[in-house]
Amino acid sequence: MKKIIAVTACPTGVAHTYMAAESLVKAAKDKQIELKVETRGAVGVENEITEQEIAEAHAVIIAADTDVLESRFQGKPVVKVRVAQAIKDPKGLIDQALNMQASDPTDYLKQVNKSKAERSSARTGPYKHLMTGVSAMLPLVIAGGLLIAISFMFGYDAFKVEGSLPDALMRIGNGAAFALMVPILAGFIAFSIAEKPGLAPGLVGGMLASQIGAGFIGGIAAGFLAGYLAKWLKNTIKLPRNLEGLKPILLIPLIATAITGLLMVFVIGEPVKFIMDSLTEWLKSLGTTNAILLGLLLGAMMAFDMGGPVNKAAYTFAVGLLASNQFGPMAAVMAAGMTPPLGLWLATLLAPKKFTQEERDGGKSAAVLGISFITEGAIPFAASDPFRVIPSIMVGSAVTGALSMVFGATLRAPHGGIFVVWLVNPIWLYALAIIIGTVVTALMLTILKKPVKQELAGGV
Amino acid sequence: MNVSELLNKQSILIPLEISDKTECMQAMVDALALSGCVTDKSAYLEAVMNREKTGSTGIGFGVAIPHGKSAGVSKPGLAFAKLAKQTDWDSLDGEPVSVVFMIAVPEAAAGNEHLQILIAISRKLIDEDFRNKLFAVQDSEELIGLLQTI
Repeated sequence: MKKIIAVTACPTGVAHTYMAAESLVKAAKDKQIELKVETRGAVGVENEITEQEIAEAHAVIIAADTDVLESRFQGKPVVKVRVAQAIKDPKGLIDQALNMQASDPTDYLKQVNKSKAERSSARTGPYKHLMTGVSAMLPLVIAGGLLIAISFMFGYDAFKVEGSLPDALMRIGNGAAFALMVPILAGFIAFSIAEKPGLAPGLVGGMLASQIGAGFIGGIAAGFLAGYLAKWLKNTIKLPRNLEGLKPILLIPLIATAITGLLMVFVIGEPVKFIMDSLTEWLKSLGTTNAILLGLLLGAMMAFDMGGPVNKAAYTFAVGLLASNQFGPMAAVMAAGMTPPLGLWLATLLAPKKFTQEERDGGKSAAVLGISFITEGAIPFAASDPFRVIPSIMVGSAVTGALSMVFGATLRAPHGGIFVVWLVNPIWLYALAIIIGTVVTALMLTILKKPVKQELAGGV
Repeated sequence: MNVSELLNKQSILIPLEISDKTECMQAMVDALALSGCVTDKSAYLEAVMNREKTGSTGIGFGVAIPHGKSAGVSKPGLAFAKLAKQTDWDSLDGEPVSVVFMIAVPEAAAGNEHLQILIAISRKLIDEDFRNKLFAVQDSEELIGLLQTI
């Protein structure tokens, strides 16, 4: 026999919820149908429907004027009406529910397992904290990046004229917005973990990560460190009641900031500097003899941490070579720095389901940042899903870097993206290298990235 | 079931002479104020009217149950009216109304037992036998007697 389940609810929760439930039960009895009704009224949820019952039900009747957690019925046929309809025509509703095409029971089970997995991945701590940080940082990346791009439009080194508009734009974009990027990322990760007491240590840790050149990966580390530290202090420090007020404004910020800061300076800072120095030395020792290998390496390094030590080592190495009249690595480095945001933009178009709405909107700006050689445009994407995004953009950039070297492209300007592309020789092959890297990046992303969890449908 | 805490003689109007729905509402709100459930009449009436705007509380079969949740209510209460003549209520089944229950619920959740009684009465209204007895009620003693049987 077909089983039907129903939920009734109304805003006041004393009358319609229960009359609707009663009407449905009565109609079901007349028709000799097995029916269970969950009521959500002023006295709470009664006769709650279990997952087992949802799984066994043929269809669901929702007669409600308020939210009834509809998402738990995903994959089941649902008849959804206003609560009054169940009082007016309970028999008709039951007939309608009986006539619904039953879903394949395994479909529903799959759906349940899937949404459970999604829920846990979306709700569990670290991912949520990371996303809080990334979404706070995203507007800084976009606004700052676009302002830098506008400055480049006046000429790739127009900003060097002090007091000019391009100079101001560069100061706003690079000097302020981009400087805030990593601190805000770290600060909001920590804020998400420990609430307000986490903000100060997180911001400071992020600022230090930025100053010691640890980039956004250092910033993520600082944010988690500061957040969990502040949270731990919040739960551990016990004070007499009359001193309790000192805890959130004095003790936690002071201790958490001091410890996070000291760790950033001595434990993270030194190794970062060491990595950067030794990578730069190593690149110098490689020389430019094996062009393809050098291109691959420089490309992958540019994409690895976008502004962190590895990226800086590659960039400074290439800029350094300009002085000794070697222009190939500079071209490779710039091309490889353009493909990560470009590839992400292309991926948001190719596989929109694998990106959040925020990321899809951000994708368009990423494209502009990409052609302007503002690699930072890819950071929000990388920070929110590092283990899938970073490998993808590294492969794309490595391909582009190598191709640029193979094509013998040269560039004498240390930055500027599309605004200096006309300085590159040979320009068409260089563009081709960038396009191939962009496509490779996007394909890697579509293969590696998982579909984003579906937003839960809210009721009325 | 002990309904005497929810409704008393002041809130039972048999018969009630009114010319339309609005007048009926006002008379019943006054009755609830007299019985001590409603402290701020205009606030409660506004809540009832707002509820009515989202959909008529005429549930059909000649019965209407206007209700409102408001800070103007001090404790859960019930008013009953048997209308002298059938009155239009934009009911779900289009039929005019002859019996009205008005339910008052405080904003802050009060003792659950009162709510449980209101809920039990609401459920019972779906039962045809109960409704027929309700239509036949002649005075407040009979009504209270009938509600006690729930």
